[in-house]
Amino acid sequence: MTITSHGEELILDKERALFLPQHKLLAISDLHLGKSAHFRQAGVQVPATIAESDLHRLTILIEKYNPATLLINGDMFHHGLNTDIDEFALWRKKYHELNLLLVKGNHDRLSPADYSALNIDIHEPSFCLGPFCFIHDAPQCTEEELYPISGHIHPGVSIVGKAKQRLKFPCFYFGEEYAVLPAFSLFTGLYNIYPKKSERIFAVTPKNVVEV
Amino acid sequence: MDQSKTKGYKKIKQWLKANGRKPFKFQEDAWQHYLNGYSGLVNAPTGFGKTFSLFLAVAIEALNASETSNKKAKDRLQLIWITPLRSLAKDIARAMRETLLELELDWHVGVRNGDTSQAEKVQQKKSMPEILLITPESLHLLLAQKGSSTLFKNLKCIVADEWHELLGSKRGVLVELAVSRIKGLQKLEKNQFLRVWGISATIGNIDEALDVLEPNEAEKRIIIKADLEKKIIIKSILPDDIETLPWAGHLGLKLAYKLLPIIEKSKTTLIFINTRGQSEMWYQHLLNIEPELAGRIAIHHGSIDFELRNWIEDALHTGQLKAVIATSSLDLGVDFKPVDTVVQVGSPKGVARFLQRAGRSGHSPHETSKIYFLPTHALELVEAAAIKEAAKTNNIESREPFIMVFDTLIQYLVTLAIGDGFDDKVIYQEVKNTHAFKLILPEEWAWVMQFITSGGDSLSAYNEFKKVTKDEDGLWKVKSRQLAMRHRLHIGTIVSDAMLKVKFISGGYIGMVEEYFVTRLKAGDNFRLAGRVLEFVQVKDMTVVVRVSKQKNAISPSWNGGRLPLSSNLGSVLRKKYNEALDKTHQDEELDVVYPLFLLQEKRSHVPRNDELLIELINNKEGFHLFAYPFEGRLVHEVLAALVAYRLSKLLPISFSIAMNDYGFELLSDIEIPMDESIAYEVFSPKNLTEDITLSINSTEMARRKFRDIACISGLVFQGYPGKYVANKHLQSSAGLFFNVFSDYDKHNLLLRQAYDEVFYQQLEEPRLAAALERIQNGAIIITNPKSFTPLSFPIKVDSLRENMSSEELEQRIARMKAESEKVR
Repeated sequence: MTITSHGEELILDKERALFLPQHKLLAISDLHLGKSAHFRQAGVQVPATIAESDLHRLTILIEKYNPATLLINGDMFHHGLNTDIDEFALWRKKYHELNLLLVKGNHDRLSPADYSALNIDIHEPSFCLGPFCFIHDAPQCTEEELYPISGHIHPGVSIVGKAKQRLKFPCFYFGEEYAVLPAFSLFTGLYNIYPKKSERIFAVTPKNVVEV
Repeated sequence: MDQSKTKGYKKIKQWLKANGRKPFKFQEDAWQHYLNGYSGLVNAPTGFGKTFSLFLAVAIEALNASETSNKKAKDRLQLIWITPLRSLAKDIARAMRETLLELELDWHVGVRNGDTSQAEKVQQKKSMPEILLITPESLHLLLAQKGSSTLFKNLKCIVADEWHELLGSKRGVLVELAVSRIKGLQKLEKNQFLRVWGISATIGNIDEALDVLEPNEAEKRIIIKADLEKKIIIKSILPDDIETLPWAGHLGLKLAYKLLPIIEKSKTTLIFINTRGQSEMWYQHLLNIEPELAGRIAIHHGSIDFELRNWIEDALHTGQLKAVIATSSLDLGVDFKPVDTVVQVGSPKGVARFLQRAGRSGHSPHETSKIYFLPTHALELVEAAAIKEAAKTNNIESREPFIMVFDTLIQYLVTLAIGDGFDDKVIYQEVKNTHAFKLILPEEWAWVMQFITSGGDSLSAYNEFKKVTKDEDGLWKVKSRQLAMRHRLHIGTIVSDAMLKVKFISGGYIGMVEEYFVTRLKAGDNFRLAGRVLEFVQVKDMTVVVRVSKQKNAISPSWNGGRLPLSSNLGSVLRKKYNEALDKTHQDEELDVVYPLFLLQEKRSHVPRNDELLIELINNKEGFHLFAYPFEGRLVHEVLAALVAYRLSKLLPISFSIAMNDYGFELLSDIEIPMDESIAYEVFSPKNLTEDITLSINSTEMARRKFRDIACISGLVFQGYPGKYVANKHLQSSAGLFFNVFSDYDKHNLLLRQAYDEVFYQQLEEPRLAAALERIQNGAIIITNPKSFTPLSFPIKVDSLRENMSSEELEQRIARMKAESEKVR
């Protein structure tokens, strides 16, 4: 689905990604690499295939949009180094020409050497582009002129139907003050948001992105 | 061996005689069978010394034994007494200690549960007492200790007190598993003397209750029933005129004034109310209509602070309180001597619950229990008559034991692994011999083992999963101290909502409210808790900070849990009462009062008989309504409504909104609903039931809700404690998320299957639904076309409005609807 915000064209992809064609930039947030391995190390039975699946989705997006830049809007790494991250390192080698930017989030605590080994450009606290300011947590944005695009909260929206039917989807949120991207990783929960009338919500359903 | 010749027996008889007592026959029976090596179940009414029927049996045996108590400190344990409630343990321990002292038996009685201090636990580990009173959870915690497998060497008996309470929950499975382990350990020592006994109130499936506790048919087993009748007086509080009572409603405040003289002339009255929210309103209302009661009544429910509840319970003991408004929080537990009267407000929905509550008054043997039933709406008077009859004929519900609960099994195996470790071949046999897991297949066992040792899929390239590993001695163990600690914090099967503590700005805790309730509050909002109106200030450090409000009225938190469905026993007696009411073939004063309502129902539509299903088709401004009345309880009706809606929609494209109560359900549509006798028989048919249910209800959504508990019990999700931050934030996740990822990536996960099984067998009660449809097929279906709502349909209509409205708006709306309905009369 394509929308216009602050004079720029934005493509909202159902794989929980945002593409800016004018800048050839693909933005995702809250990738939480290594989360499933971290849970498994702690004795919690998360299916091991889930990290593979996140990387696979990312590959499909890269092939689809062929971006010059991949921007990760915070929480790229869940905790520390583990086998999931080894997998990612292999993936990175394959896509070494891709410009990879990380706007640091609260989970990103690897050492500078680890980031540079993976060829990741670090931006802290934000990365500004045209009318937008990419930042992990919107309230912390100090660029008053710009429109913050954030992540962090893993936004979700509930659609309530008749006879107690209730469906919950991850969503893109475009409010008056700022925007929030859905969490990219499939192993993330949802934080319900209750939009005001003037705000736009785009639910990510299994088939496509729909405005609600 | 005839016990009457033994010295222990003689000593007990003597001691009883000195106290002016003599044993009941069932007690002597229990002692004799215990001495003869039996396991079993004691079934006796409350207040007749059930505790002594088994505790003294163990004491007699000890007194008979020659004085060779030179055992090592660690090997002393003789009797494990499992109680479902901590508060019970304190009281029983006191009684046992007094008795032992007088019998000059030098035994120690220890209590071990969540309230036991760390120091005491350490002391117990060094030197076990002879008698240990323990909750099922603490027993598992004991098994989770290093060295615990040597504690049970000389254990003679395990008693499961209030077994009927534990039986119908996963806590019962905890007991089954712990018993299986202790038996296994004794077998290893070549000991043969362990006996397992239960104490149970009367339930519909008492034989099965014994089977669950002692599944081995080769053992000597017996059920000992006390031939004693507890006298119960049941009295309904009747309105002077049926018009006083609303057709629908759930509060019953209109008759509150009739309680005042009852409270006044009783010593102490317990007033049971079905939900916490309603109990808050009742408390307020009683004080409004009788300000004199201030300081003499109290309110007691599960969300009230522990200290405050303790204070109320003490005040009950000492008779300082005239009345206490309570929810199921006081159903069980220690007995309050001053309580001589019980009031039940609204339908208790089950016979067993009603009798249990009645038994909270007049507790001593040969005293009479007295319970008043206060109806909240007119038709509840019929329920009162039905309950009276069911109580008289002892038509009491069964407690269905849980089976194949893999979440509990997974927790148990990790518990053993953090204790002394386990041999999977040995434990498999033990587990397979329990009632809960007798149907477990070798491949299911293999899956469970794989789940805790390799995290589910051993095929993945990187297996960094760490939990249970094989030690050099060949036993499965948990090596990580951190993992072990976390597991210990989560032993148990009671999963509650995330609760936040409520505290005054000036200090002092009041109670707890659900987290999701708090998220909807703004600063300055008022709510009611523990009988007070509180103003919300802020949430700080996971605590809700409040101050006393100047407001008189406020919302009550809508605590989850809420409404219980009508039991099927009560449903069937209820149908019978409907026959009798119209024919006047009864002795029930309740039915006389409600008679005008039946006449009206008959005039506008029809009063369904025992073997009839009534369907009412009503057409008004709102649309086309179909009401049907199977009297099977709201849960069954919820599924039945969806099923009938689905089957009708196959005849023509039509969509419905659905409402239901305990008597029946409503389908509402904007187009005319096709219905005649042949269609009715077809849509209420038991054919293709499972398939049609799956297609008609959102079973995935229901399973997702069930999975919440399963994820906590099996250790996937960490709950944390009320008022405390969850440690290890980076290990936080939700049950819903696991449900999704298992559904997508691990379809054969047994925990997932368990969630669906729980939906079909417990929530949907498929067998009960099938039986209901069978009954309908074999009876008559009556279809009527009333011009306006009938006394039967009206409450369902009102219930459907309740969803998203505050109670005051609702009252207004009901008044308006009733006025409209009367116009057409």
